[in-house]
Amino acid sequence: MSLPGLELTQPTADRPFAAAPPTQISLSQGTEWRFEVAFGTTVRVKLLAGTAELFGTELAPSQTYTFSGTKAAIYTWHGCTLEVNAGDAVSSLDGFLPGEVNGSAARGLSAGGCQSEYTAEETPMVEYANVHFALEEMRQQAKAAGRDGPRVLILGPEDAGKTSLAKILTAYGVKSGRQPIVVNLDPSEGMLSVPGTLTATAFRNMIDIEQGWGSSPMSGPSPVPVKLPLVYFYPSQNPLEADGMIYRPIVSRLALSVMGRMAEDEDSRETGIIVDTPGILSQGKAGGLQMINHIITEFSISTILVIGSERLYSTMVKDYDNKPTSSASAVATDERISVVKLSKSGGCVDRDVGFMKAVRESQIRTYFFGNSVPSTASSALSLSATSTLVTLSPHATQLDFNSLAIYNYIPPTVDEDEDEYDPSQLGTGDPFFTGGGEGGGVDPSSHDPNQQPSHSDEPGSTEATASSSAPIDGLSVPLKKVPGPAPSLLANTLLAITHAPPNAPAPAIRDASIMGFLYVADVDGEKGKVRVLAPIGGRVPSRALVWGKKWPDEVVGLVG
Amino acid sequence: MSSGLASDEVAEDYKNSLEDLTSNDRFQISNLTVIAKENTEHAMAISRVLENHIRTTPPAQKLPALYVVDSIVKNVGTPYTLFLGRNMYQTFMNAYTLVDSQTRKKLDEMLKTWKESVPGSLDTKPVFPPEITRGIESALIKARTAALQQQQARSQQDLLGRGRGTGTPTGWTNSPTPQTAPRHPQPNVPRPNNNGHGYDAARIPPQTQHNSHQDVDLAALNRDIDSLIATARSDFANNPLDNSVQQRLKALLDLQGILQRQELTQEQLRLVRDQVSALAPAPKPVPAIPQASMAANIPPVSTTPVSNILAQQLPQAFQQLLNPGTLGELLKVTAARQQQPTPPPQNPLLYPKVTANMNTPPPAVPTPAENPLIAALKARGLLPATPVPTASNPLMPSVPSAFPFIVPGQVRYTPPISTPHAINASEIKLGVQMNTVSIKIPQPTLIISLYEARSNRCGTCGRRFLTTEEDKEKKARHLDWHFKTNQRMAEAAKRAQNRSWYVDERDWIKSREFGDDLEIPESDAQGESGAGSGSAAAKKSLPKQWIRAPNDAALRNTPCPICQEKFESTWSEDVQDWIWQDAIKVGNRVYHASCYAEVTKDGPAPARGSTPLGRTGTPDSVLGKRKAEDNDSPSHVRIKTEPSL
Ligand SMILES: [Zn+2]
Ligand SMILES: [Zn+2]
Repeated sequence: MSLPGLELTQPTADRPFAAAPPTQISLSQGTEWRFEVAFGTTVRVKLLAGTAELFGTELAPSQTYTFSGTKAAIYTWHGCTLEVNAGDAVSSLDGFLPGEVNGSAARGLSAGGCQSEYTAEETPMVEYANVHFALEEMRQQAKAAGRDGPRVLILGPEDAGKTSLAKILTAYGVKSGRQPIVVNLDPSEGMLSVPGTLTATAFRNMIDIEQGWGSSPMSGPSPVPVKLPLVYFYPSQNPLEADGMIYRPIVSRLALSVMGRMAEDEDSRETGIIVDTPGILSQGKAGGLQMINHIITEFSISTILVIGSERLYSTMVKDYDNKPTSSASAVATDERISVVKLSKSGGCVDRDVGFMKAVRESQIRTYFFGNSVPSTASSALSLSATSTLVTLSPHATQLDFNSLAIYNYIPPTVDEDEDEYDPSQLGTGDPFFTGGGEGGGVDPSSHDPNQQPSHSDEPGSTEATASSSAPIDGLSVPLKKVPGPAPSLLANTLLAITHAPPNAPAPAIRDASIMGFLYVADVDGEKGKVRVLAPIGGRVPSRALVWGKKWPDEVVGLVG
Repeated sequence: MSSGLASDEVAEDYKNSLEDLTSNDRFQISNLTVIAKENTEHAMAISRVLENHIRTTPPAQKLPALYVVDSIVKNVGTPYTLFLGRNMYQTFMNAYTLVDSQTRKKLDEMLKTWKESVPGSLDTKPVFPPEITRGIESALIKARTAALQQQQARSQQDLLGRGRGTGTPTGWTNSPTPQTAPRHPQPNVPRPNNNGHGYDAARIPPQTQHNSHQDVDLAALNRDIDSLIATARSDFANNPLDNSVQQRLKALLDLQGILQRQELTQEQLRLVRDQVSALAPAPKPVPAIPQASMAANIPPVSTTPVSNILAQQLPQAFQQLLNPGTLGELLKVTAARQQQPTPPPQNPLLYPKVTANMNTPPPAVPTPAENPLIAALKARGLLPATPVPTASNPLMPSVPSAFPFIVPGQVRYTPPISTPHAINASEIKLGVQMNTVSIKIPQPTLIISLYEARSNRCGTCGRRFLTTEEDKEKKARHLDWHFKTNQRMAEAAKRAQNRSWYVDERDWIKSREFGDDLEIPESDAQGESGAGSGSAAAKKSLPKQWIRAPNDAALRNTPCPICQEKFESTWSEDVQDWIWQDAIKVGNRVYHASCYAEVTKDGPAPARGSTPLGRTGTPDSVLGKRKAEDNDSPSHVRIKTEPSL
């Protein structure tokens, strides 16, 4: 069933904005136009002459691209003229319009309705393009030598432009006929999925200019070919939480899958991997370097790119430069790691807390409802005059809480005070399993997922999927089944549907890739019912669910 | 896909109607247009039928068929423009090669109108995208220029007393008499094609016949060429990366060079003039030559080109030019020219002169002193010569055509000279080392591998392709993909759509990325041979046995009851959903189609023996239900499958 009012409100054309006249922006060769568009407003950009690219993906001439809720830059190698236009405001469901202030969108006063925009003469694009060419060289050599293509790790503090660089390298690779596997290890921002996910995706087709990286498969067509991510769930913003004991094995598992794909997919093997990382690993936090080392080992990284951190760069050079890679063939083929320092783009702006929250909410919304901004770029050939707005219809449904196998990570400590015992948390004696602080409390009668044998109906299959590389055994995985009654804190949060059976052992659940998400609209504790939004109708898969209690953060009012 | 059968029928009908079209009959043409309009869902099939028909029909009937194309693209437009546009270069040039000069003139006129928007339409876009018309024009200019040069060479030889019987027409059978009596000009008639039963592609008032012996006004001709060059320059400035623009400009400059050397006879000059007038943008009302008294009521437009065409003279001129006996020399001349390093276009190209007759002022592109593109192209030795391989292929001497009109790119032919080909990305020497110092050195030449080397662009998404044949095919498939997707988007808007579940590890590892440019098996397999009959049918993709993968996770993990293997989900771009290949639902259970066939098949299969129907044999199971009626060797049958009921 589909609830009335779930569809996105269409863009209201009749909103009383005096349309600003279109602005023309001329860029000389080697410069870029940096612009910010608030959530709730749109800006249309058209390439009138010359060539232009957005994070490496070229704009088609005379097409109109619509941007919303973005901070980006359009670079030109040859010079170009752009036309910038304020688009329609996008309104959506009540309560969800992060950029909106008092009911009216915060419309910028700069060119074409941008929040801010300017032209920059200095960019690191020469360096970034050269990294691509160096990678191409490595790909050719690797093929000749029978090695895998280069595995690239991008490091740097938050807002240094890591993801932009990943996009540029991916776009240039795709343009050169390659098929890189792009890995996102940053749980604070999703790639082709929601925040809290770690993903791997092979890119063969163009990155979507308007919609971040593009879209994962839908039941309907997409104007830009969909991308197919492999998705894992890590429900925290901080990979170093709990000493990285949860993050680390998931990274191992993801790397294993990527290596499996590389072994079978020649195009990806020849092209290699591009790994984007969370900024926190590069910011000198305790455990950061160990986690970097773990990633370098698991993905057999061959190239380390460090943006915007001199200190980290020298550390990386000392520890890794010219050392053999961890690849199985490294010794035979004398494959060595190179560490390269890259300039940070002056266009990298600190994205404030409010903006990032809006980005995350937008990603979650897009997962269920599709794009909230009509894509104008691809409608040129469309037979009908209808816009190519892809609207998805998720299904709302009521479930018995008791029928669900919901698991939750109970970290041993909370955030910063890693090694300290926190007396405010009710202990059960075991420091790793102190009861889930805020909500619900622990029902002592509930199943203890750590006692594997008693819950494993399919010992054969689940044993096999248990993490092989996790340094800790299953007993120490702080993943517990959430007992009844249904905690009210479930409301407005996400449940990840894993591919693991409902009562698989904790490590198997932790390491399982996921099928998708449920959004909990509300909870009726007394009746033991939860109302959820599922992307697809029909029975909710009977699988182990992992509760993103703290991450991604609450989205209030996703369902009216 | 489901309408495959209907498409066949429509195509067959259409083919039959086309075959009845033997003359320029406006009624028939508009009838065919209406049918096309009412069957846009079969546009692809109809377009194919048209292309095939134009290719195979006798020369005399090519023009009417091309007029059908013209009428359809102007009155119906999308999606026909897309489908017909894709092969238009081949279609047009093929026909042009085979028809007489009278018809060529008509084709020139028609081509002119394709550069304009449809008269009376609100849409300001030209009938066909400029890249299509420009490609054809460039080929025509090139061919004519080469022919001119050849003629010059020949007349010099003649002067030396080594002439060999000029004016011996070989195989040129048309009479130079115009088909119709000279028509009276009807200036400013809004719907000019209601003046008779003929379809008038140009939809412009007919042109006045002029004294064919009148001398060519050199000054006017030079002016015209100048203005064409100015336009081409501004085009080039706006699209510095568009090969066809660059080529066209170069061809014009070549022509100007010949003209300025003043080595041409009056007859040759007329040819040039003809060529120039064919190139001029379609005039709003056709300009009158001042001395044409009949047209005196039209205000003379000073900048407009001479546009009368010396119909009677041209055939002979062309005939001489194109005498097959001269072909060898012609090749030599063209070859020699191509080796000559023509001075690269200098900076003026980058500074578009805003001339009065330009419709749209060029956008203010900043003009850096040193243009890296030019520099880079020079560095690679690309600028001097014509970089597009297809355009530099002279006609193969053994071409069976009676009229060796030089049609670049029409035949695959490796020229005996080394012309720089489009840069293959892999030919570019990289040499950037992965270290902090090396990556700071600008590499303008390498940027070419991302831009200039891939000059063939998709107008919708901007994706670039190489100019190789392989990439041209990729682009065609890519455009098909856009078209189909847009069609589906329109359909999809009517029903609810959902985010799909993410794949599991196994499916992800096994999956291969969909390429919108990938060859779809067993499509487009039509050869040059068929008389158009089989190709529409061959296009129809044969139904594989598949079902949508169930959303229900439990069902998704239920193995095939026969072999106990799980099904593999693959993402189908065609279906826009996850599907199970080689799967069949019988009652409530899902089986591998091949497993099911094997188990349920009795008698006949073993009798036929040799064709095991393993799961790997999916191509065979493609035949599905048909198998029963078919006689032997199923694996070959599908190629020849008859066009179905
Ligand atoms: Zn495209
Ligand atoms: Zn089977």
